[in-house]
Amino acid sequence: MVFIFKKHINKNNIKNVRTHFPIFKSQPNLVYLDSAATNQRPQSIVAAQSHFELYENANIHRGVYDLSNKSSQKFEKSRSIIAAFLGSENSETVAFTQGTTAAINIVARSYLEPRLKSGDNIVTTVMEHHANFIPWQMLCKKYGIELRVVPIDQNGDLDMMQLKEFIDHHTQLVAVTHISNTLGTINPIADIIAIAHAKEVPVLIDAAQSISHFDISIEHLDYDFLVFSGHKMFGPFGIGILQVAEKHIQQMLPLHYGGGMIKQVTIENTQFRDFPYNLDAGTPNISGVIGISAAAVFIDALGKKNMRQHLEELTYYALDVLAQIPELTIVGTPKKQAGIISFNAKNIHPHDVASFLNKDGIALRAGMHCTQPLLAQMGLQATARISFSVYNTKEEIDLLALSLRELIKFWS
Amino acid sequence: MTKDDLQKLYKSKILPENEHPYHFQEIKSFDFQIEAYNPMCGDKYWLFFEQHGNQISNVFFHGFGCALSKASLSLLCKSLEGMPHKDAIELSRQFVQCLTTDLNFEFKKESLNTLAELKHFEGRVDCIKLGWEAVCNHFENYEN
Repeated sequence: MVFIFKKHINKNNIKNVRTHFPIFKSQPNLVYLDSAATNQRPQSIVAAQSHFELYENANIHRGVYDLSNKSSQKFEKSRSIIAAFLGSENSETVAFTQGTTAAINIVARSYLEPRLKSGDNIVTTVMEHHANFIPWQMLCKKYGIELRVVPIDQNGDLDMMQLKEFIDHHTQLVAVTHISNTLGTINPIADIIAIAHAKEVPVLIDAAQSISHFDISIEHLDYDFLVFSGHKMFGPFGIGILQVAEKHIQQMLPLHYGGGMIKQVTIENTQFRDFPYNLDAGTPNISGVIGISAAAVFIDALGKKNMRQHLEELTYYALDVLAQIPELTIVGTPKKQAGIISFNAKNIHPHDVASFLNKDGIALRAGMHCTQPLLAQMGLQATARISFSVYNTKEEIDLLALSLRELIKFWS
Repeated sequence: MTKDDLQKLYKSKILPENEHPYHFQEIKSFDFQIEAYNPMCGDKYWLFFEQHGNQISNVFFHGFGCALSKASLSLLCKSLEGMPHKDAIELSRQFVQCLTTDLNFEFKKESLNTLAELKHFEGRVDCIKLGWEAVCNHFENYEN
């Protein structure tokens, strides 16, 4: 793999960045504005996976032959790469999951559920993706405890006063997203972690929308649980990460039972391995693991700072451009926003917007974005959403505006 | 479907029905109501049925959704009025089948044939069949 990054992304080298994504070669007119749903894939990451599949394939931890040993080494090296990507030297803080949703559900069932008792509460926010909302809601219903949902203000920022009031000594977990997948709001997670830790409450951070362009380090942020998906950081579908702070590792219980996660099995009993290996029941998604570690390498080569700067430029440029179309309403004006903008067009349903823009080669998402409580609080049924990644350009935002103006004219 | 085709379709069939939907109002007195809801996109309507015996006399609808779902529901209301239950069920089933299978039916209302031809409209079949499927589900549950 040869990388050419580590420098500011600008209009002169964005073409070079785009060359790493074959989809833009095969579909040069594609304006892909749906990276919050999934990123496009760079050649190097797909190549890393396919190289393993074609030339190195063997199951891990189950053979003494060279091919299996190499596969095992590559698998565990991937764990180390992800740990380092997250600022940890301890690869045993990192578990591979099927994605963000699976990782959150593991925390809910493997860590939180066994410790819940009457009078407890769980704190989350109204802007969460359903994946970081329903698991807590279900636990609260099951054990008759309180789900405290932090609202947002009229701009789309979390009500931090309310959050502070909600967290008390009966709170068993605070679960919050780093970046809202609907509004693009960047939440002050360092502040939230500090508030929660002052009352000895652990914090889960959903980094699905931030992992590719924010420096997220367990050493600096001191979160308790971190979750994210491979496919939103240029990696493959079906693989994700759960990082658990060392102090909680012993409390992570097995979830699924099977081979690979045991120390000893007798007819009478089974002894399990410790986290993260106690989550590895059955054969894991080995090529997915190799893919997500290749994605971490790709992002490091690109430089998170470069990418974040690029996304901020695109976000504020798009906000300016869209604000000049009077028939559009931008949904949410948070203090800090990155990579994601929701909007509505007067009298035109977001699905109709998406269908018409599709005819101009523009891919955007319309609907509720798995955030029904958020839209209900905002009095909305749906939005159109654009989201950016490293391969997007200001010219694409101009095309979006042109297409929207044409649609609005046609509709009137 | 090209962009021109899409614009022509919307201009001639969808937008007029969307802008002036038939019986688009929430009524308080009805014989039964059906919810048509797509949790994936948020489109949500209520259909209000008035009937005499087993004959549907009036259908009203109200709610929120895209131009396609609203236009399709408007046509549904026009189509089902005056029908006995069994004919309304049969028409609704045929319309949904037309959109979701290789089966084709010739409908008396030309506008229904136009809508049914949109089975290959990327990602929008759910919008078109929303109300019709809700009617099918309601009567299937009722019958069972």
